[in-house]
Amino acid sequence: MEIPELKRIERREFDMHLTWDDGTEHEITYDDLRHACPCANCSPQRNDDSTSIALRRTVERLPKEKPTVRTVGNYALSFEWTSGCSSGIHRFERLWRLGEKQDPDNGKAYVHGAW
Amino acid sequence: MASVPRITMADSPVKINNPGSAPEAPSAEDQQKMEAAYNQMKRKMAIAEMGKAIKHKIMVLSGKGGVGKSTVATGLALSLAQQGLKVGLLDIDITGPNVPKMMGLDGRRLNVEGGRILPAEGHLGVKVISMAFLLEDEDTPVVWRGPIKLGAIQQFIGDVDWGNLDYLIIDFPPGTSDEPLTVAQNLPDIDGMVIVTTPQDVALLDSRKSLTFANSLKVDVIGIIENMSGYAVNGRATAGTEIEVAGPGGKTHKTTADENGDWSVTLDIFKSGGGEKTATEFNVPFLGKLPFDPGFVRGGDDGVHRIVSEPEGASSQAFSEVVSKIQSFVETEDSGSGLEII
Repeated sequence: MEIPELKRIERREFDMHLTWDDGTEHEITYDDLRHACPCANCSPQRNDDSTSIALRRTVERLPKEKPTVRTVGNYALSFEWTSGCSSGIHRFERLWRLGEKQDPDNGKAYVHGAW
Repeated sequence: MASVPRITMADSPVKINNPGSAPEAPSAEDQQKMEAAYNQMKRKMAIAEMGKAIKHKIMVLSGKGGVGKSTVATGLALSLAQQGLKVGLLDIDITGPNVPKMMGLDGRRLNVEGGRILPAEGHLGVKVISMAFLLEDEDTPVVWRGPIKLGAIQQFIGDVDWGNLDYLIIDFPPGTSDEPLTVAQNLPDIDGMVIVTTPQDVALLDSRKSLTFANSLKVDVIGIIENMSGYAVNGRATAGTEIEVAGPGGKTHKTTADENGDWSVTLDIFKSGGGEKTATEFNVPFLGKLPFDPGFVRGGDDGVHRIVSEPEGASSQAFSEVVSKIQSFVETEDSGSGLEII
């Protein structure tokens, strides 16, 4: 999937503002980002509606905080939180899909969780 | 004045300590965790510093084993060092490290100063780090699962005092597994990867996997090197003599001895041109062919690479041509993502 290059991330109180090199701008709430964690522990929980809702509730109960953002090679970002899961590596394609309000797992959460 | 006794209620978070007394010391387990977290943070900072101190970082990969990747990685490092550049060679092949042998550093041990690992220095001043330096003897196998390998690689990247380098060449085990993934995730500003292949179809098929892997990690492919490409047979005969050499696959190679009586034919032992074809197919640069040179094997076993023993020889020349293409790629590429995080 060809996507524009991510140029800027502004971390705000409850969400982050992303600017891509084609001028597209996205807002992703931290709750959405954390619910979409691609790690091997969180991903399978999104395979089923009931566990996915439970994951969402868990994420929403976590203290609101700005994450520490780190680049992972040239292809992804990781987000470090003081509580909850920080294991997921979010590929840029995944952040783009989240910004576009598409399913970041593309219908196969567990398989995608390998990344 | 009598002091207030320290009260701890069983199964309760409530703890009352004597205000005058020292706070309770962390448990050994907590201390261990804190130490690990501190070391991890220190390592991350060191890796960021290392990113700045090393101008160019090049990964050398192959999809398939036995294509001469370590020989090529060592050759690239030596060829760059021949130009007077400061070069490091990181042997990430944890389970089958053989770079030290090729660099004449067999049996060497690493020194540690101020908590930093000092690389060993091989031919032409190339700094070398390899798992082989940590093994008791060369027959000891390293039987590690992924997470342990990952820790060792992070240590090789973050805890080594490379100093300022112009180039760091990183030699990987074959395939597209933990090792290149870990390095691509941890080492900042990698210039790109060089893919080594031999001309057979099987090797080329696996090289294509490496290309897809690079694309997936958003690491630039500097190009493909075709190793073991053609074996030159030389001889002497009366000037003008027609020579016939029976080559692989029943193919007959014909040549004529020149006025000095010298003749030469190149036998394509593993076919030829496949690397170039794959490069064209995937639209990546083809860096060149390196000849099948038995001297590499002898030199590798003796710890003297062909580039060191015959700096003007045909193999050194072939390496030098490949290296100049790599240099023109990395020195014009703008590395760094340019992502602003606020």
